[in-house]
Amino acid sequence: MASADLALLLTALICLGLRLAGVWLAGGLSTEHPAIAWATAVAQATLAAFVTLAIISPAGALADVPLAARLAGLATGVVVCLTKRQWLLPALLAGITTMLIVRALV
Amino acid sequence: MAATFLAFGAAVQEAGLSPGWALLACWGIYGMPGQLVLVQAAAAGWAGGVGAAVMGAVAVNARFLPMAVSLAPILTAGDRRRLLPAVPFIAVTPWAAAMRTLPSIERSLRVRWFLGFGMTSWVVAGTAALSGFYIAGALGAEARAALLFVNPLYYALLLTADLDKAAPRRAVLCGAAAAGLVLVLPPAMALLAAGLLGGSVAFLLGRGRGVG
Repeated sequence: MASADLALLLTALICLGLRLAGVWLAGGLSTEHPAIAWATAVAQATLAAFVTLAIISPAGALADVPLAARLAGLATGVVVCLTKRQWLLPALLAGITTMLIVRALV
Repeated sequence: MAATFLAFGAAVQEAGLSPGWALLACWGIYGMPGQLVLVQAAAAGWAGGVGAAVMGAVAVNARFLPMAVSLAPILTAGDRRRLLPAVPFIAVTPWAAAMRTLPSIERSLRVRWFLGFGMTSWVVAGTAALSGFYIAGALGAEARAALLFVNPLYYALLLTADLDKAAPRRAVLCGAAAAGLVLVLPPAMALLAAGLLGGSVAFLLGRGRGVG
């Protein structure tokens, strides 16, 4: 089996195991249970850390985009998202457009 | 979400992997950060070994566990076996949509709602990834930069949409601050550690204020 296929198979199986384990652990708990509140906080914090690292210190070709452009795109997207509730696409487009403009200027 | 999978397809093409691999990664892993870790490892020729790449991908997708823990009681208060068909669809986009929408839906209809949303998301994800794979070669530098920026920005906006609620706001701010652990830990471990530390601190702050 090729490395890429083996990595994909193993990752998919372990990720499925994580999901199953979560469902098994949560079975009888209510949403007000402290363990559920903690698990939710950890999930959101992990995603926030991933986003922070991906924008501040990205790997690969995104590192070629200047930090100022990445931050400007992020700031614009967040502002549009906060003013246009529930509309992620306009915020995404605004952020990407801003990133490209600043990238061209820097 | 479609834009993130479009960008993923383009990254797979640039890494020299096949369109079938892109499709199976979308449906098998269904967690974009982990998918991107594998693509980066493939682009580097699996320099750190397959095991290290898999551990990195699992670590960055470890949020599936707390996501499932928090989602399961909202989906059903009864037999957990009813949730088995829904398990592969537990990922950021369906989870975020479900946490926002399900409380206003009758409990007996919630699993069906989640299955419908999850399967639709899978079809959109696979189609977008294949589209990204096949158009990647025709893109210029600006379009490629835009595609690469889609994923981090999309997830940042998903989190932003929840910032008006105190508990998510605390978790997001603490998680972002804890990302600084990357300065002292390997990236894959730093992400997991940042999530555990930031989330736990946010949880304790909430308990201290008596709001869970």
